[in-house]
Amino acid sequence: MASFKTDIDAASLRFRFFMMTPGVLVACGLIVFALGLLLFLAFRVNDGSLLGAGATFDNFVNAVSDPLYAMVALRSLVIAALVTLATVVTAYPVAWYLAFHAGSNRSVILFLLTLPFWTSYLLRVFAWKIVLAYNGVLNSALMMTGLTTEPLTVFLNAPAAVIVTLAHAYAPFAILPIYVALETIPPSLREAASDLGARPFTALRRVVLPLSMPGVLAAALVVFVPTVGDYVTPALVGGPASTMIGSLIQSQFGKANDWPFGAALAVLVMLVILALVIIVRRADRLYVGRK
Amino acid sequence: MQRKAILKTMMMMAAGAVSVLALLAGGTSPASAGSKLTYFTWSGYELPDFHKDFLAKHPDDVEISTFGDDDDALTKVKAGFHPDIAHPCYDKIARWNKEGLLQPIETAKIKNWDKIFPVFRNLPDIQAGEGKVWMVPWDWGNTSVLYRTDLVKDPEASWNLLWDKKYSGRIAVIDAVHDTPVVAALLAGVNPFDMSPADLEKVAAKLHEQRPLVSSYTTDMTSVEQSLASGQLVAAMTWNASAVALKKQGVPVEFMKPKEGMLTWACGFVMLKGTQHADLAYDFINSRLEADSGKFLIESYGYGASTSSAFAAVPKDELQNLQLPDDPDTMLKTTVFTGPMKQNDDLAKMFEKVKAGG
Repeated sequence: MASFKTDIDAASLRFRFFMMTPGVLVACGLIVFALGLLLFLAFRVNDGSLLGAGATFDNFVNAVSDPLYAMVALRSLVIAALVTLATVVTAYPVAWYLAFHAGSNRSVILFLLTLPFWTSYLLRVFAWKIVLAYNGVLNSALMMTGLTTEPLTVFLNAPAAVIVTLAHAYAPFAILPIYVALETIPPSLREAASDLGARPFTALRRVVLPLSMPGVLAAALVVFVPTVGDYVTPALVGGPASTMIGSLIQSQFGKANDWPFGAALAVLVMLVILALVIIVRRADRLYVGRK
Repeated sequence: MQRKAILKTMMMMAAGAVSVLALLAGGTSPASAGSKLTYFTWSGYELPDFHKDFLAKHPDDVEISTFGDDDDALTKVKAGFHPDIAHPCYDKIARWNKEGLLQPIETAKIKNWDKIFPVFRNLPDIQAGEGKVWMVPWDWGNTSVLYRTDLVKDPEASWNLLWDKKYSGRIAVIDAVHDTPVVAALLAGVNPFDMSPADLEKVAAKLHEQRPLVSSYTTDMTSVEQSLASGQLVAAMTWNASAVALKKQGVPVEFMKPKEGMLTWACGFVMLKGTQHADLAYDFINSRLEADSGKFLIESYGYGASTSSAFAAVPKDELQNLQLPDDPDTMLKTTVFTGPMKQNDDLAKMFEKVKAGG
């Protein structure tokens, strides 16, 4: 942290004020207020009205005591963990190539990585539907090669479809932080490793991977946190077996018509995610400490 | 960089918060701020052919939003979205009314009121006093099993087809309280419209039994139709329109007449309290009750219109093709009419839990 000067003149104070006002407004209005409303709602009794009536802990008691919600939350965490694993494992080689071998092609590849963002996420989900469907690309290919005689229905409307779709969608979010982490590793360290007789794989395992760990953890966090609460992907390609906590929360605000309970569920999920984020930050500090 | 990542995460959370706030902010200001009439309806019911007369008189004066399910629609309206006219179904009218959302419609201003079949005009929940109603009935239709005749050979005419383990993973059902849970209640031998807690348990058990077999709970009829056409699904719970659409495409399907009875529903227009555009609203409802509007509904979707004049405009053999009797009374003798469900909220919560696996 830079040390503050004590003799800040009025002009710079004014500048700071104007620079910070939009941020403060956004933070207070959109984050603090919205979260406050959610918290408030979570402690209300559902009487069908917009803001509920009376104060109660029942929403939390019900959510914790019914094993269904724990199960669905656990399912969401497992699916999100698998998505994170798949994304980071596939992103690492890409980032590796980008950082060490792409040379002059680097900017072109970085540009290509952002290309999927030119289309809406929904369209990308539907593209996966086309691939995984009963008469889809994957089934046609399997039947052409003679591996199956009848199209398989297991690809679509299954948790695997959710994992594949999300892993694809979040790939760039994982590649970029890992790439930045790899890029900042001084070439001399890798050279030193090979000078001292480390084979490439040993150098990766003992030198590069530990040094890039903060990037990997950042990538994991960026992928994991939004996917836990993902709602649209399981709804479109997941089928009943991959109902995630986001869908349950949404249904409380929709069909089930119990906003306070939905708010309580949302608060609980946020607490779980917060706990996980804290754990990852601890782990991160461990690596930074070693550096 | 790790801090950056956390910042990024925070920004994503903020984006979520923004959308919630936007919803709330959108809620507090009336959606019908301009001079246009706002109409909130089922997707597929927004076509201009349904209100040609209105458009001839007031071109460009209607703004239409759609919903996939009228329970979601109720939540949206409750949260502050204020259309002028909405299009829920009859079984929901009492709930909309309980929330104080509706404004009575004067039947004297509805030109074709007398052409509406008496069975709909006399529905108990729409009566709002002398010469006034809460809902102007417009459409009615059936919910049943649509199945591939080539993939399901001579099934027993029963809703049980949607519970048949032989077709596990190749069945889809409708994600709406007034469809799938009602059918489950019929099969469980329970009165769907008034249940004791024990009855509710029975319905839950029936729904549990079905869940592992279902490939999706959905109101997206386009994707259900596509899946039936491709053979991914062999049977699905649908409305008449899907049967009509697939038959037109030449897909070998049949809309079943289950021995437990199809479900028959009726929907219509309600006016929302505090509308600034009552005159436009009456014009709109009137144009939708013209015979050619109803004729278009019958011929393109296979749903019934609420007016006898619309039926009179459709050739007899066309009606036979669509398996539509020209009087809803004939239909209602063999079907189960979806009226208000006393335990709708409990049923909805239970259905959500079953879908999630509880």
